[in-house]
This record gives sequence, C-alpha cells and structure tokens, in this order.
Amino acid sequence: MSEKNPLPVAKGRNPALLVLLVASLIGLPLILPSATLATEILIFALAALACNLLLGYTGLLSFGQGIFFGVGAYGAALLMIHLHWGLLSALLGAAVFGALLALLVGALAIRRKGIYFVMLTLAFSQMAYFLAYTLSDWTGGDNGLLEVPRPNLAIAGHVLVDLGEPRHFYAFVAVLFLLIFIGALRVIRSPFGSTLLAIRENETRAAAIGYDVRHFKILVFMLSGAITGIAGALYAMLLHFAPLSNIDLMMSENILIMTIVGGTGSLFGSLLGAGAIVLLGDVLSELWPRWLMLLGIILILVVVFMRGGLWGGLADLAKRICPPRLFNAKTKETL
Amino acid sequence: MSEYLLQTHGLELAYGPFRAVDGVDLKVRAGTIHTVIGPNGAGKTSLFHCLTGERQATGGKIVFNGRDIIRKPSHGRVALGMARSFQLTSLFQNLSVRENLRLAAQGRDGLGALNFWRSVEHKRSHWEMADEVLERLKLTTRADTLAGELSHGQQRVLEVGMSICARPTLLMLDEPTSGMGIDDIPVMTDLISDLGRDHTVLLIEHNMSIVMSISQRITVMSHGRILVEGTPEFVRNDERVRTAYLGEAA
Amino acid sequence: MLNLYLFQLLNGLGLGMIYFLIAVGLTIIFGLLNFVNFAHGAFFLLGAYLCYTAVALTGNFWLALVLAPLAVAVLAWAVERLLIKRIYHLPHTFQILVTLGIALIIQEASVLIWGPVGKNIAVPQELRGVLIIGEFIYPYYRLFLIGFAALVGLGLWLLLERTRFGALVRAGSESTETVSLLGTNIFRLFSLTFALGVGLAGLAGVLFAPLRGAQPFVGPEILGIAFVVVVIGGMGSFGGALVGGLLVGVVQSMMSSLWPQGASLMIYGAMAAVILVRPYGLFGRA
Repeated sequence: MSEKNPLPVAKGRNPALLVLLVASLIGLPLILPSATLATEILIFALAALACNLLLGYTGLLSFGQGIFFGVGAYGAALLMIHLHWGLLSALLGAAVFGALLALLVGALAIRRKGIYFVMLTLAFSQMAYFLAYTLSDWTGGDNGLLEVPRPNLAIAGHVLVDLGEPRHFYAFVAVLFLLIFIGALRVIRSPFGSTLLAIRENETRAAAIGYDVRHFKILVFMLSGAITGIAGALYAMLLHFAPLSNIDLMMSENILIMTIVGGTGSLFGSLLGAGAIVLLGDVLSELWPRWLMLLGIILILVVVFMRGGLWGGLADLAKRICPPRLFNAKTKETL
Repeated sequence: MSEYLLQTHGLELAYGPFRAVDGVDLKVRAGTIHTVIGPNGAGKTSLFHCLTGERQATGGKIVFNGRDIIRKPSHGRVALGMARSFQLTSLFQNLSVRENLRLAAQGRDGLGALNFWRSVEHKRSHWEMADEVLERLKLTTRADTLAGELSHGQQRVLEVGMSICARPTLLMLDEPTSGMGIDDIPVMTDLISDLGRDHTVLLIEHNMSIVMSISQRITVMSHGRILVEGTPEFVRNDERVRTAYLGEAA
Repeated sequence: MLNLYLFQLLNGLGLGMIYFLIAVGLTIIFGLLNFVNFAHGAFFLLGAYLCYTAVALTGNFWLALVLAPLAVAVLAWAVERLLIKRIYHLPHTFQILVTLGIALIIQEASVLIWGPVGKNIAVPQELRGVLIIGEFIYPYYRLFLIGFAALVGLGLWLLLERTRFGALVRAGSESTETVSLLGTNIFRLFSLTFALGVGLAGLAGVLFAPLRGAQPFVGPEILGIAFVVVVIGGMGSFGGALVGGLLVGVVQSMMSSLWPQGASLMIYGAMAAVILVRPYGLFGRA
C-alpha cells in the first residue's frame, strides 16, 4: 500500500466494540435460518480477520490464504481420522500447520515487494493446489477427505458438550471467535501491531528507525496462517468434509473479497464482510445463480468509491446519527 | 583512533567500473557538526548510502565506536546508535506526528518491539521521548495532526526529529533543508545547532551559508574522493575547492 | 515414438503461440500503463464466445476471426474510458482487486448469455483435415494456428518498432510524463494500448476456440498462465513474452500425457523461482 490511498485501519480502543460483537454473536443464529449458516459466517470471519492482519495492517496483499485454510482443514481431519485426536488438539494442530506453512510461504514471499510479492503468493497458492491434487493418498485428491469427524468438547475423557447439535457447535465456534478476536485486539494495540502499521505506511523508514522488517512480516504471516488454519479446521468439522476447493485460488480470492468488502477499518469488518458474502452465496444463489456478478460489482464499488467497506459505510452513517464525540474525525479513528 | 566516533578506511562503492565512492577516509570527531559538501556527482549521497547501510559498500571499512559495521544492515546500525534522516521526506504520512516520533523511539527496542501482548501505552518512556522531541521541534501543538498534513517545512523538521528519538550518538542528516523556504531555514539551522550540543552530527548540505555558519568541520568531495577537509575558514580559502565548484559552473 | 514427441512438440508450439499472444498483451499493458490487469483471462474467454456468436450469425469463421477480437477491443476501450482510467493512480493492489471484479462480471455475464455448459466452435471448412508426411499426421488447423499467430506477432513487432504509435508506446513505457509533454494525447494512447493488449487476448481466445471451445470458467487458469509467462519472460518485454510463452506451452504439452498436475507444478514453481532469483525474468529490464 502506498502513502496515497491506503485502506483504513482499526485502532481497537473502544469497549463498545466488544459489546457490539457479543450482541452480534448472540443474535446471529437467531436472525438466520440455520445455525449452520451462522457458523459458516463465523468461520469465514476468522479467515477474513487473519487476512486483514496482513492486508489492512501490514499492507501485504496475499493470494495465499487458501493454502493455510486448506492445510488447516486437511491437517485437522487427518489428525482426527488417523490419530484420533480430540477437538482442541486437532484445532491446535491445525493452527500449528497453518503457522508452519505461513512461515515457509512468508519467508520466501517477503523477499520481494509489491506486485512480485503478490505474484509469489499466487504461484505458491497454485502449487499448493496441484500438490494437494497429486497427494491424493493424504488429501483424497479431487474427492477430498470424507467423513471428517466432529469430536465432542471433552476434557480428560469427560464429555462437556455434544457438538453434533448445530447450535452447540455454533456456540463453541462463537466463543472461539470471541477469544481470537480479543487476542487480535491485543496484538493491534501492542508495539508489534503499531510497527506493522509503520511498515505498511513506509517500509524504508521503518527499517531506518531500527525495525527488522522481515521479522515482523514473517511473524504476522505466521499469526495469520495459524488463525486461518483454525478456520479451515472448523470448516472441515462443520461440513464433515474437506474438499480440494478449500485450497484453491478461488478460496483465497473469496477471503480477500470478504476482507475488503467488510472493511479493513475495523476487525469487526471481517464479520460484516464474511456475513455479506456468505449470505450472498447461500441465500441469493438459489434465487439467482449468477450472484458472483453482484460480487464483482460490489468489489469494484468498494475499492473505487467506498474504501472503508461495509464497516466504513456504517461508521459514516452512524456519524450522522450519533453525537460526534464518539468519533475522532481528525485521526479518522472510529470505534 | 577513539577520538573519532566514525571513521572510514578506503571506503569504496563501485557500480561496475564506475566508482561512486573511490577510497574515502572520512574522520568524524565526536561532538562535532561535520558537513560533507561537493558539486553534483561528487559522491556525497553514495557515501551517505554506505554509511547508513542503504547500499552495501564494495570495499573498505566503516568503523563506528571502534566496531567495523560494514556488514550491518540499516536496522542494526540504529541499535548501535546511528540514526538518519532522508533527503526526500519519508514519514508515516497517515499517522499522527506524535505516533511518528513514538515509533521512532520504539525502534531502538530491537527484539523488544516484537512484543505483541502488552499495550503500547505500557512503555511510557517512548511516549515521554516523543513529547520531549515534540517540544524540541516546537511542534507540540501539532502533536495529533497527521504527518502528511504538515507544511513542507514542518515535515522537514519532523524528518530530523524522527532521527533523534532513538537516542543516537551519531545523527546523519541528508540535505535537511532540501526544498525549504527562506523563512523556514533558520528554524532548521537553529535545530541542528541545538542538536549539535548533545549529538555528533554528520550532514550533507548544499546551502553554503548554512554550511559555513554551523559546521565545525567540512569535508569537500569531488569525483568520489575527499578533496579537502578542515575548518570552514580553511576550506573557504582553499584553491582546489574553488576550482572544483567554479570549474564546473564555468 | 518420435512421431508422438513431434506431435506433442507441435502442440506445444501452438499452445505456446497462444500463450504468447495473451502474454504480450498483458506485458504491453503493464509496460506502458503500469497497470496489472487481472481481467485478462476473462477477455480471452469473451473472445472465444464472441467468435461463437459471430460464426453462428455469419457462418464464416474468417469474419469471426476479424470481428470478435475487434469487438473485445472495443469493449476494452469502453471499460478503460469508464473505469480503468480512474484507477491508474492507485497502487497495484487496488488495480488487482478492481480487475478481479471485472473478471467476475465478465465470467458470470458469459454464463447468463451463453449458458453454463460451454460452446463448441467448428474448425473452418478450409482447414479441416490433416497433413500426412509418411507416418506423421498433424491437423491443418493447428499448423495454421502456429503460422497465423506468428504473423500476428510479426505484425505486432512491426507496429511497436516501426510505427509512430509503437514508438510512443515504447517511449511511454520509459516515461509517460515526457511523452505527454511532447504533445501526445496520453489518454488516447492509454486507451488504445489497453484496447490493443486486451484485443490480443481476445484474438487468442478466438484462435483457440475451435480446439477447446468457449468455456466460462477458464479465466483464472488463463490468467495464471499469462502471468507465469510474463514473469518468466520479463515484464514489459516482447521477446520475453514469446520465449516464455513457447517454453511454457511446450512444457505443458510434453507433460500433459505423462502427468498434467506435474506440468502445472513445474510451471508455477518456475514462476516462483524466477521471481525469487531473477525477478526481471529472461529479458526484462530493471
């Protein structure tokens, strides 16, 4: 991203944000026709949040998020199927796989900047796809991995919650989402987070004032990879299926679109973006199969006219209704 | 030896057969304001690039505080106490002035800046440093303005201000008054003189009146080599300097 | 055995020439406009579809060969005037996102208009049949493909090297400011260049249509290959697009019978390797 037209960025200071989030998490399954749909939205909101850490924060446009999503899905599925790992361990495993792959991809990709960086992530994404296709003994190839279990939430053998019931699984995912969200907020407010912003704004200057930019980029990649891996694992558990499409380029593109459309100006944007895109896909696709066209139009409109995304739009709207003291117009900070 | 904070031995920067820096033995005494001047193409900027780590020198040594730092990347040099400003203003445009300075202060933390768990509010020392520098730059009233919204003169001042936040021993300023209007220049000259009291300052400058008024030592470069070095009076009266400058202007 | 290799090699050359046409368009756009066009693959498939319609309406492939790419170019020109010109100044990442949106729109519109299944286009009457030399058999159309694409390449080279327009494009790639100061209407130059670059992609789509038909979802695959070729050959390089295109085409073709996924792995692996080791590619400038 250049100095001229950056995407807005979250500052994460306002406690009202958390209240809004918890309210949304509680309300989501009530508004939507199914808990499964609500869970799907949260899963992709996680992926979009992870993507925003790279895009909104560090200015890195990565077409490789699908790699981590797919690896998380495959990894968790294989751990559960072959090694009979439980829920939490499988999720941890997925996070580790995601982080490790992000380390590999990130360390190589950041050797270049700008368009070449983007191209590298694209190339790696394609390579991952074709590798997954080829290693069909592990991944099921074109068919994907079937009968992925959804273990119960258990500690030391005692079953706490049966997650087979969609609403229970939703509650579990919602709590996980909340925890990760809070963690991400902490990261944003930390020295590490502030440095990411500096790198996005002016990488040369950041290096000149003493930051080893590579370390920061690789670490944020790993964080992003870990969260995306968890999202992928949850998706596999939701569908009981880990398809090849988890790791293809279109998945990476979808995640990017959700991040942008939701708005990079707040972590909450990931929820909005994921909600909008998943709903468009699930609900509208029955009415109009060519809903992707709408997606294309929305993407163009957001990038050209409404760079704050849905979140920015809502914030602008709220600004007109709410008293001005909630917003700092000078620094363009909202919630 | 150790009276010199920064010293180069036979420093060389070659682009193929062309030597931008051709065997330079620079000596900068601690506590001085030392200016490098020379006609266009003399190699001042290239020398600067080698010293700051922006370019990897192709030969020679750079000794800072007794250590050969020629292999150290730019960010590593900051930790040792070297800081720089840019000729083309290079700030964090969309962040506030205070945040720009705080980030510069945080930069010295090295691996500590990788802390992702505690809040930035936590490290009071960085905020205090930022406020201190704001005062020194006389920009306290503009603390919350976005850096990109400052006037050009104020941006140049902030540019220099960023470099002192890391408490460096050596300040390397690349044409600090570049593009500044006639009214703003005294602000910069006063700032640099003030900084010279508690830092060693090495600068590149074109504006001769500034150079003559604030420098304690001047190095004149030409064709990648040092032509003359000495006090302002010595340099002003040297024949070779006149030819180097006026010979070009003809 | 030799015949099989020769067959695959020729297929590879044909494929390579198609890739060359797509890539050279992309590289011209990037070279002059400094614009990353993620909709390039979509215009390829649009060319194929417009060829189908033109053939359906006129019954004449040769007319379609002229009309379809022109239609694509005109459409591209319109898109440039309406949208693209607004985003030249934005960083590459935004250009990618906008053209991604355009690609989606074109893809879905194609399905709306022509249906989801894809259409076949018959090889023109004059080029049906095969060439037989001893035991070696090769379709006439594929030979035509290689020859025609080469001719277009030659014409393009002449356009770039020997005409005023070409000189402006090449000069503009170095410095658009200078060119506009010299009195050229830079906006018109940009529009024409964009239309030309995209039109080449459309032409490639038309040429390939009798072999593969018109499909709505090939955009991403073609785009991917186009970028691989441009990266390997060097962004902004005509020669690079040719050599890169042929390399990729031949590799893909030779490996298609053995291990198709392996071909893709190698190709994208090569792209990553080139970016990491020598980002300017084979012929690119610094």
